[in-house]
Amino acid sequence: MRNSKLSLALLALVAVSAGAAQAQSNNASITATATVQTPINVLGAQQLSFGNVFPGINKTVGPNDLTNAGRFDVIGQAGSAVTLQFTLPATLSSAGNTMPIDTYNAIRAEDLGQTVGAVMFSPGPSNAATLSGTGGLFVWVGARVVPATNQAAGVYTGSVTLTVVY
Amino acid sequence: MNLICWLAVGAVLLDVAGPPSLGAQRPLTVTGARDLTFGTVLPGVPRVIARTDPAYSGQFDLKGPKDNQVLLAFTLPLVMTGPAGAQMPLVFGASDAGYSQSEAIGSQIGFDPKQPFTATLSKNGKGSVFIGATANPATNQRAGAYTATLTLTVTLLP
Repeated sequence: MRNSKLSLALLALVAVSAGAAQAQSNNASITATATVQTPINVLGAQQLSFGNVFPGINKTVGPNDLTNAGRFDVIGQAGSAVTLQFTLPATLSSAGNTMPIDTYNAIRAEDLGQTVGAVMFSPGPSNAATLSGTGGLFVWVGARVVPATNQAAGVYTGSVTLTVVY
Repeated sequence: MNLICWLAVGAVLLDVAGPPSLGAQRPLTVTGARDLTFGTVLPGVPRVIARTDPAYSGQFDLKGPKDNQVLLAFTLPLVMTGPAGAQMPLVFGASDAGYSQSEAIGSQIGFDPKQPFTATLSKNGKGSVFIGATANPATNQRAGAYTATLTLTVTLLP
């Protein structure tokens, strides 16, 4: 009988101790969140083409010339603000000969017909723009070449580069 | 000795062996006060959130017995999960967690959230835990919202 009472007491002690240990710990959680944006893709979709040029006669291709203006197609996160960064050559080259370009102009729009959100601007190292509600943007580049009166005949080329960043 | 006497002895023994005045102490509580937020992340560009960032770091608030030591232990995710089960790695550095007895983000003691850390609650029985991390999106990371859960378990030390 004496042993039974001791066992009951120890049982009580263990039970109460277990309850006390459980009460000594607690926890909570938070959430880590991130939103990954759609990467920007830029495609050189159409060359800037001056066609035939004659010595001493300037020739201009306007950015609204849907056939000959250079065109870049941009796709990214819908509605995002972006910066258009142009690198524009000052001359075209042909076998060691050069032909100056003295003027650039550009148009950006949300459609290929330049009818939605069309804006003319002067292209440079930093031009602000906003991608459309579907994430698209079209950019046309025009320019004027200034051939010398003694401009050597040949095919002249140069590279126009557009970098787009969020 | 009857049964009641033995129970009394047991209760006395418990009182001696257990935490001092446990029954009268404020209970331990842990609250998730602020989520860890990476905001907008670009594919291929790691995004680092410092534990001292007042807007984006995660925060837990602790309450318990005054001046009591506590053991802090995180359960940390390796990735955040996004659209269609896409995963984005999450890295916790050796000093990406911090404890502040004064609950001030500017006066933290840094610690490794991957290891248990012993801290002491303030004289008011309070404290805050802050946590930062680095999200490492792949260059082809799928666009969309990503989430993960961080859990902090706090244990009172005798």
